[in-house]
Amino acid sequence: MATKIEPEAAASGRPLPDDRLREVLYFLKLARYFDERMEALYRQGRLPGAIYSGRGQEGTHVGVVYALEPEDSLFPTHRDLTAQLTKGLDLKRVMAQYWGRIDGYLRGRDGNSHIGDWDGHRTYAVMSHLPIAYPVACGAALAYQRDGSHRVAMAICGDGATSNGRWHEAINTSSVFRLPVVWVVNNNQFAYSTPNEKEFAIPTIAERASAYGIPGVRVDGADVLEVYAAAQDAVDRARDGGGPTLIESVSLRWRGHAGHDPAKYVPRELLEHYMLSKDPVKNFEEYLKTNGVMTDEEIAEVQTRIERAFEEGYEYALASPFPEPGDVTKGWWVEDGYWQGEPGRAGGTEAS
Amino acid sequence: MAAQQVEAGAAGHGAEPRGKRSEDGQATYLIAVAEALWEEMERDDRVFLLGEDIGIYGGAFKVTEGFIERFGPERVMDTPIAEETIVGMSVGAAMEGLRPVAEFQYADFMSSGFDEITTVLSRYHYRSGVPLPVVLRGPSGGGVRASSFHSINPEPWYAYAGGIKIMCPAFPSDAKGLLKSAIRDDNPSMFLEHKWIYRRIKEQVPHDPDFLVPISTADVKREGSDVSIVTYGAMVHKALEAAEALAQRGVSAEIVDLRTVYPFDEETVLRSIEKTSRALILYESYRFLGIGAEVAAMIAEKAFEHLDAPVVRLAPPNVPVPFSPPLEDAFLPQVADIEAAVDRLAGW
Repeated sequence: MATKIEPEAAASGRPLPDDRLREVLYFLKLARYFDERMEALYRQGRLPGAIYSGRGQEGTHVGVVYALEPEDSLFPTHRDLTAQLTKGLDLKRVMAQYWGRIDGYLRGRDGNSHIGDWDGHRTYAVMSHLPIAYPVACGAALAYQRDGSHRVAMAICGDGATSNGRWHEAINTSSVFRLPVVWVVNNNQFAYSTPNEKEFAIPTIAERASAYGIPGVRVDGADVLEVYAAAQDAVDRARDGGGPTLIESVSLRWRGHAGHDPAKYVPRELLEHYMLSKDPVKNFEEYLKTNGVMTDEEIAEVQTRIERAFEEGYEYALASPFPEPGDVTKGWWVEDGYWQGEPGRAGGTEAS
Repeated sequence: MAAQQVEAGAAGHGAEPRGKRSEDGQATYLIAVAEALWEEMERDDRVFLLGEDIGIYGGAFKVTEGFIERFGPERVMDTPIAEETIVGMSVGAAMEGLRPVAEFQYADFMSSGFDEITTVLSRYHYRSGVPLPVVLRGPSGGGVRASSFHSINPEPWYAYAGGIKIMCPAFPSDAKGLLKSAIRDDNPSMFLEHKWIYRRIKEQVPHDPDFLVPISTADVKREGSDVSIVTYGAMVHKALEAAEALAQRGVSAEIVDLRTVYPFDEETVLRSIEKTSRALILYESYRFLGIGAEVAAMIAEKAFEHLDAPVVRLAPPNVPVPFSPPLEDAFLPQVADIEAAVDRLAGW
């Protein structure tokens, strides 16, 4: 994970050393490939449940999370699987979750991108009632403020969730107590089918920050390094006791709200503009090539590595057993011990 | 971090709860609740309180008066009026190892945090294995002319969510022992105090700092042989009054106080039914889908062969708690209603 800008990187005019830039590209391309392949499997009827594409928004997700340390916590949404992968979640266990298997992070208790790995990577298991995790992030940040650990909590939601009362409650409360938290709004311009102008009657979300007495910044989600710089600034401020920051990162949701949604309500010209000119993955590849950080061949090697990781993840997921049906009521109370021990594994496995 | 710094004794009293036991050592229900909080905060520095006006003001019912002088503003944390955030913040703090106890000025206002309670707090452990030792507490119940928004019994809403242990004690000792158990429990708890009982009921309450009442255990508050009255909260006291009157007429009522309404103690209820063969379920949440509906269904399923009469429920109608005294009295089960219901059951 990234730390502050290092001297050699600063001297090169780049915000991160070259190996870190290559890692950023890995996460961007991993997210893109995962998203495309999972959609294909979904359409082929080979993936149960739902998918929520984060395509076109990878610059936001990788950029903000790359500013976190492993012990910092992340409170994402269903749209933010890329953010969780960047936080370090194991692709194999992520995929086991998508197929409802016992080796998924949530032991089959939840599916798709409603994932989290609190004990490991400090990511909150996603819930749908957005921004339901914003108040929870306040609590984690409160604990960090008190234990002197200088950790930071980061929460992400979409543009639509900013209309919900909890968004206001949580940001206001974080400001009152100067909590070490970073509020990220992934403004992909559509909340399901509802465009920005029907969600809020002000030009930007970022400017709302002044109403809470905290800094607000609006960045271009197509530029992962711009997002990262803003996030690092916000994380540093929170870590140093400077309180919360609101980051609005603007992109476009390239796909529908979920796998079933063709998103015909998104104007074609807008979509084409974003896909051609504001593709965060392609833009960053160009940046790396222009600056002599990576060659086409090296980028192709990254892609090969990602495709191999995906195949391994897919095989792992399908080989993992289903949860034991008799365990359906276990884990309701802490004292039943379900989550403290090894889970029951159903006998057979089956490809979906 | 906190804006307010409070000197010990600044409110005119020392570092102890303001509310005191009477000279003979009896404690009101309210004092018992305060003692439980105080003792658990002394015992475990991970325990902290948060809520509205609980610091210098000492809370809407003065349960936490004097706490801020002893424990400081971080552990007696006044929050903005933002119930979703009070609950959500409790969850996040618990995820990081703290043990928050959130006060609601009235249990009615828990519904302002409904989503964080029913979606996050209740389900998170089942989904992820992360324990959430959170206690939500506040005064519930009617009978004090507080009308629609300061009188409700919300326990069925949150029992339906599951995953949250819900306690509704009727006596000071039970309140103290159960609240201490709730704070020490690694699961989420909802502790519903009853404001009608707060200052009305006094008794000798154990001083032992490790006195605990186990969660999910009912208690027979009066032995009897003709009819079982299964109840909880303020209705226990109405039932005791009715039982006294019934005894004068030769009818022997046994009173089972559930104390914890979810998950409730089926065994103690069934033992009583086996003895009396008649069951009156008396409760202050709504009759329709209230806690007593589950108790009645459980008895019908598991004690059918012991019953000599239909299971009867006595509970308020599903309308908002009304203000005008005759209306509220008509809304709440009264002692005479209980006597009449028991008489009908005893007649089978």
